[in-house]
Amino acid sequence: MQKFFLGVDIGSLYTKLVVINSNCGIVHSDIFKTMARNNKRDDVIDQVINQFKVEYTCSTGYGRKLLKSADLIKTELYCASAGVTQLNPIDKTIIDIGGEDIKLLKSDKNGKVIDFYMNSKCAAGTGAFITEVAERAELDVLDMSRLAAKSTSDKELNSFCTVFAKTEIMKWIFDDTSDEDLAKGIYISIANRIQKIPTDNSLPVYLIGGVAQYHPYLQNIIGEKFNVRVTIPENPQLINAFGAACIAQKSFVNHLNPEP
Amino acid sequence: MYEIAASALLKEVMNNYFRDLKSRSKPLVWCTSVGPAELLRSFGFEVYFPENHGALLGATRKAMDYIPVASKIGYPSDICSYLTSDIGSHIQKSTPLTKHYGLDAQPIPDLIVYNTNQCREVQDWFSYFADQYKCPILGIVPPRHMDEVKQADIDNVSSQFKSLIPECERVSGNKFDIDQFRETLRLSKEATLLWKKTLETSIHTPAPISFFDATIHMGPIVVLRGTETAKAYYKVLSDELEVNVKNKVGFLPKETSRIYWEGMPIWGRLRFLSDLFTHHHSAVVASTYCNSWIFDDFDERTPFESSALAYTKIFINRSERAKLAILKDLINDFRITGVIFHEAKTCFNNSNSRFGMPAKLKEETGVETLIIEGDLCDLRFFSEEQSTIKIETLLEQISS
Repeated sequence: MQKFFLGVDIGSLYTKLVVINSNCGIVHSDIFKTMARNNKRDDVIDQVINQFKVEYTCSTGYGRKLLKSADLIKTELYCASAGVTQLNPIDKTIIDIGGEDIKLLKSDKNGKVIDFYMNSKCAAGTGAFITEVAERAELDVLDMSRLAAKSTSDKELNSFCTVFAKTEIMKWIFDDTSDEDLAKGIYISIANRIQKIPTDNSLPVYLIGGVAQYHPYLQNIIGEKFNVRVTIPENPQLINAFGAACIAQKSFVNHLNPEP
Repeated sequence: MYEIAASALLKEVMNNYFRDLKSRSKPLVWCTSVGPAELLRSFGFEVYFPENHGALLGATRKAMDYIPVASKIGYPSDICSYLTSDIGSHIQKSTPLTKHYGLDAQPIPDLIVYNTNQCREVQDWFSYFADQYKCPILGIVPPRHMDEVKQADIDNVSSQFKSLIPECERVSGNKFDIDQFRETLRLSKEATLLWKKTLETSIHTPAPISFFDATIHMGPIVVLRGTETAKAYYKVLSDELEVNVKNKVGFLPKETSRIYWEGMPIWGRLRFLSDLFTHHHSAVVASTYCNSWIFDDFDERTPFESSALAYTKIFINRSERAKLAILKDLINDFRITGVIFHEAKTCFNNSNSRFGMPAKLKEETGVETLIIEGDLCDLRFFSEEQSTIKIETLLEQISS
């Protein structure tokens, strides 16, 4: 009989869930707003657990400790590593740009996290940064990648501070900067932020998270800045939930067959 | 639940210390925490340490109320938060010393003495109060960031110690007595060796004292070194912990990792951090901070020279190369599996993560390292959730 495993990534903006089978194939996924006061989150998850008769559940993300039905709790960094490694079992760098943070990690072919970095005190370069600055620039966030791809500008925002970046972009608008150049400038600013983080440029980069999902042009900018091959896996926003499900599956197997 | 029985005595010792300060029966000197306390005490001074007040402001989370007050008069919130919270507290005429020890304010000094072996900020901090109280101020300014302390450095600092004598005699009304200095130094050394013994009990598994507990039990070695009281306290504490070692009783029944804490404590989040590590069965067993009050070079036969050596050789006053070697030894001795570098936003001098140290340490020892950002007093620089994710990821790294 087929067995199923659930990974739940309770992020700052969205909750993502992925159900996999014993072969780590995705059989179900869902994304909905996290909304801290929404008690229905647990109901939705319980429904999935019942529907698939889930054997083991692993939760991750900002709200990872909130899920009452979780058998395991793991950090997003470990789940990102597990998820990308399941798809690409090689040494690699993973950049996870979420709603309110950036995580960058070096992961080996077995999914072990070798090194990691995450922003602590500043939301520059995150999804919240893009939303704020794009709003000031009167750009549709979902159209930014298309616009940026048409730009030949290399103009960049100097400020890492979200508020000051908004002030800076006003000056660009006063100077009649095109929408295309505005969009690309915002992306360059994010890549500059990431470039400050120590990375091993000999490794391929995997870009995951909600920002990668909706801003695929970042792949080009980061590739140019780092001079490396950048890949966005399918459904980048679901990777951490997928990794959590893979960890649940492996833990279940280990649980049934404990090491002597 | 694991408890250190000596905690009751600690409370009594600290209460008595502050009671004596309040009584003003002796002339009173302010001194930096790694300043020349033994020499000052030999003149009969009561010695008060404003950094202890800084830690209290941090631990009670009152610092955030006072820092903006200091900012208004030109001491911005990104310089030492001991300094800014202490000055702010003074301006506001409000202090947690009142609630905890019955003092209306910090005791007014008859003399102020600093040693810049730890940072230049203490000079400016203490100078502010010297102006406020129209009080004489003296300083020792040793060479900084040293690979090793050479004879010329000892001679230099030793002569600076001696130069304090005339003003100390004048303010205290007591002539310098070399035998009294020798005796104070002898007591200080005995206390410091017992403190070392206390900390080294956590070389064993299960460890009987955590970094978080040690930051509390270090009170007497900071404020009472050079006294019988401090020596007696650490005899009681180390004896208790040695019995615990013998009986294999520790603060965690099971240790899945052994962590070294580098840098200042985050005073206002000690409980939170202690609970976080406990939840993950991770033992934080050693630290640079608590080790900073081990002065095993004291020698009463050469009181000036050995004081100069001991106070100039402290970790914070060493080169990156010397610090790396010290950390490597401690990692080995305490069987450390992970090092956390606390990058304190307002304490550049006691944050050792900014010149490549974590990466070098990992490369040379194979031990995982992590930088967390925060501050000794100003919790606005500390993100609880982000730090939790980082620490939990480090612990996952160690266990995988």
